[in-house]
Amino acid sequence: MQIAVNILVLASIYALICCGYVLIYKVSRVLSLAHGELMMLGAYGLYATASLFAGHPLVALAAAVALAATVGAAVYLALMWRMTGESVLAAVLATIALGILLRGAMILAFGTETRHPLGQLGWTNASVALGTARISAVGLALVLSTAAVYGGLALFLRSSRWGIRMRAAGQNPLLAAQRGIGLHGIYALAWALATFTAGIAGMLLACDAGLESTLVIIGLKAFPAALVGGLDSLVGAVLGSLVVATAEVLLIHYVDPLLSDVVPFAVLLAMLVVRPWGFFGSREELDRV
Amino acid sequence: MKKLLLILGAALCAAANAQEAYVIGVSGAMTGPVASNYAPVVEAMKAYLDHVNGRGGINGKQVRVIVTDDQAQPSRAATNAKQLIAQDKVVMLLNVSLSSTYAPMVAESKRGNVPLYYAGAVCPKETYPPADPLQFCSTAFGANLDSQAALAFIKANAKEPVRLGLAAMAIPIARAEIDYAEGLSRTLGMTPVDKEISPPPAPDYTPFATKLKEANPNWVWSWSPWVAQVRVFEAMRRLGWTGQYVTWAHLNAEEELARIKDGGFYVVGTNAFLEDNLPIHAEIRAVAARAKLEHPVSYLTEGFVAGLVVESVLRNTPWPPTPQKVLSAMNRVKVDLKGLRGGPLEWTKDNHFRTRQYYRVWRWDPQQNRIARAQDWQAIDVRR
Amino acid sequence: MSGYFRTRYAEDSALLDTRPQKIALALFSIVLLVYPFLASVLWLDIANQILLSAVGAVALMLLTGYAGQISLGHAGLLAAGAFTTGILFKEASAPMWITLPASAGVGALLGLVFGLPSLRLRGLYLAVSTLALHFIVIFAGSEYETKRGYSTGIVIDSPIQDGRAWYFVLLAAAALTVLFALNLLRARTGRAWRAIHAREAVAEALGISVPRAKLAAFVVSSTLTALAGSLFAYYRGFVSAEAFSLYLTIQYVAMIIIGGMGSIAGALAGSAFVVLFPYAIDGGMGALGLSDRLSSLVFAVNYSAFGVVMIGFLVFEPEGLIGLWRRVRDWLVLWPFKQRPL
Repeated sequence: MQIAVNILVLASIYALICCGYVLIYKVSRVLSLAHGELMMLGAYGLYATASLFAGHPLVALAAAVALAATVGAAVYLALMWRMTGESVLAAVLATIALGILLRGAMILAFGTETRHPLGQLGWTNASVALGTARISAVGLALVLSTAAVYGGLALFLRSSRWGIRMRAAGQNPLLAAQRGIGLHGIYALAWALATFTAGIAGMLLACDAGLESTLVIIGLKAFPAALVGGLDSLVGAVLGSLVVATAEVLLIHYVDPLLSDVVPFAVLLAMLVVRPWGFFGSREELDRV
Repeated sequence: MKKLLLILGAALCAAANAQEAYVIGVSGAMTGPVASNYAPVVEAMKAYLDHVNGRGGINGKQVRVIVTDDQAQPSRAATNAKQLIAQDKVVMLLNVSLSSTYAPMVAESKRGNVPLYYAGAVCPKETYPPADPLQFCSTAFGANLDSQAALAFIKANAKEPVRLGLAAMAIPIARAEIDYAEGLSRTLGMTPVDKEISPPPAPDYTPFATKLKEANPNWVWSWSPWVAQVRVFEAMRRLGWTGQYVTWAHLNAEEELARIKDGGFYVVGTNAFLEDNLPIHAEIRAVAARAKLEHPVSYLTEGFVAGLVVESVLRNTPWPPTPQKVLSAMNRVKVDLKGLRGGPLEWTKDNHFRTRQYYRVWRWDPQQNRIARAQDWQAIDVRR
Repeated sequence: MSGYFRTRYAEDSALLDTRPQKIALALFSIVLLVYPFLASVLWLDIANQILLSAVGAVALMLLTGYAGQISLGHAGLLAAGAFTTGILFKEASAPMWITLPASAGVGALLGLVFGLPSLRLRGLYLAVSTLALHFIVIFAGSEYETKRGYSTGIVIDSPIQDGRAWYFVLLAAAALTVLFALNLLRARTGRAWRAIHAREAVAEALGISVPRAKLAAFVVSSTLTALAGSLFAYYRGFVSAEAFSLYLTIQYVAMIIIGGMGSIAGALAGSAFVVLFPYAIDGGMGALGLSDRLSSLVFAVNYSAFGVVMIGFLVFEPEGLIGLWRRVRDWLVLWPFKQRPL
């Protein structure tokens, strides 16, 4: 039972981070390798607003979340719009360079010491019982917010006008542009939403563990989950996260905890060999040469 | 071109000045992700030596500390060591950086025949007796000795047969230590029930804590970088584990005890805490205030120890200094640490670590709401 | 552009055409040979680092710049070469003339493994598969370190100790690599790579065996990279898994981007730029007279500045330093015209 709870929490972490990878790829076919840094930015944002609005934790949370979304849109408008239409490699490298820049800027602004935003907010990470298993308050928050985010996104993409436009831009950008959909606006919205979800993930992780610069590597560890599920499918992201998290937790428990570092990438490789576009991804020009 | 001239000019000036001062060189992780553990050591040491300079210097001469940043990268450490030895002609080389930078600096120190002094990170086995001629170490951690002290404390304080859990981060040094502890625990009559190695970093430590808790230990010993130690503990507590957790006191231990506020969380270490309020602590505060250091004062103890050691060594080095004279001074130094540790630090030709290691154990006292000492100075002799 | 025409086959396959080019190369060679006797210890070390990374940069340029296969596993291949050397040294006390070919062999084998996904995957997915392989190689390396007790890394006795001697060895290695690369590019393999990069379907239609050419690209590049890793192990005198992080891969990719994709000279220029960059930042901050306090932020400034420079090159000058040079050269040559008159 405890194992199931652990898998759920880990899968929620991965799913929340993957959400951003998938959104950006689905809409603009760009793989954003700066996602870990954006996650950390969200967490530092929470730390900053928590100190600013000391005594009003909910206000601080709301402000941090809004800040994350704004930063996402700003990143697109400042940098990524220039890379629209360039080659795949150039866009990926631009995101890598952006990640490096953000990491340096955050160290400049905040220093390298470990911070504890949860303490700043005035809350503690209590433990909640679920039958025979126990889950931490932050873990519960992670699971619930992942469910909320995915539900909200699914509804948004399916029913709302902007959601349909986003899907259209993702399927055939040229046609969408000629139909009158403003692509830059759509892409900016996608980046804002992705950074918003990354920010939530970063904030919750920082509340759980403390905020330091190694948070970035977790962003990279979540990447295989996105690929396993299919880079442009939200349902796939959930499934991929579950698969990777299950493999990791079961291996830690029954085999060797050391493997948990390599397992996501081994699963990724296996997937690439068998079915490169993931469980639910759309087949791209990946046909056999 | 201009940059080249500037750097050459600075080097020439440095060479000229070196005539009138004791010159030592430091390669440290001053910036970068791990800097918060190492930069305070260098800055505290430098502040102390500046303070000594202000009081007239050592043997009437000033001490010059050249600090280079290696960002915890082995390649940069090698370049820094080359530069410090060949260009700045330092008489002592210091390493205040991650253990991955040791090997390249050892190679350079051997090439230049300059003693290498580790002041920030874990002491390598080469400083234990029989010691490598050129490597010295003053940092608090001691491989194998820490486990001996911790397990001795557990044995002395356990009210029932000990079921020992072990936790470490997946870096080679921590794993080696925990493996040693596992073997040692059996000879002490304890039962090691589980050993968990977690990768750095893990998004969630709960799976590791789950496995550890299921083995039902009543005591756990963990020896790793602080983040792994504390997060495993917090995850276990959240799972409802009620046992006692012993861990190593890093620079931030004093702060963290106050944050965690758990009566079953023990830290074992060799450096006195600020709350002892010794005269030396007042001196540390004064020096830190004068140098406008930005780190919390509780992080500065290790650097101060290094400063005291350097001062003592250089005092025993007759003018003009050469690496050989510094080496012979280091081989017979005995430094009074004024209460910062349990006793004096003593190096001999055979033992470049220290002849005796003193340990204390602290915990948080929930009733009195302050840090309490669970065990006072216990000495362990360091022999072959 | 200059009115120089190649009328004989020998001229076409020659490396240098005109007299001025030959004189320039001769002068450059003289400067290179005299440099170690003039440079200080620090600058000699920097030059050695540039030469060492040039080998790796040329290898990556062949793979990504010419054959168009994206690879993010470069650090893993360097680590493979270095660890092979380390393991052979520790376990079998193998001398240099055994470890170097062994590292090259391991590199070739890994190149095959890294390259197999390229037969099915393209672009992004290929990059990701190489990334996954990188992590697996690094994991294997650190497992070896732990299991054998080398917790601070494997120390290697290098047969060459003197900085100047190393300079000449590395200069020879870099020169040989460049010559090898240039020759390969002018031969059938190089032309096949350029064809695949341009239009894969057309290349296949022309009769080029695309899988074979892609695998060849990976194998050649990995062999060179593993050799560079082995040289790195000897030069530094140690091997440890921490030295081969993802950031190293990013640095090499930055070298070929900043240098200019599709040009060997670009690889050399890029590697010089990336190695000198942190020292330039240090010097710049020192020259601007920034206080001691700010100097503790050098790392962060380094990181941020590196990111900014990479973005700058990607956005404004996709053809890198070589592209910049070409633009300047064209401007000078064609002045007062902006383009060639009709």
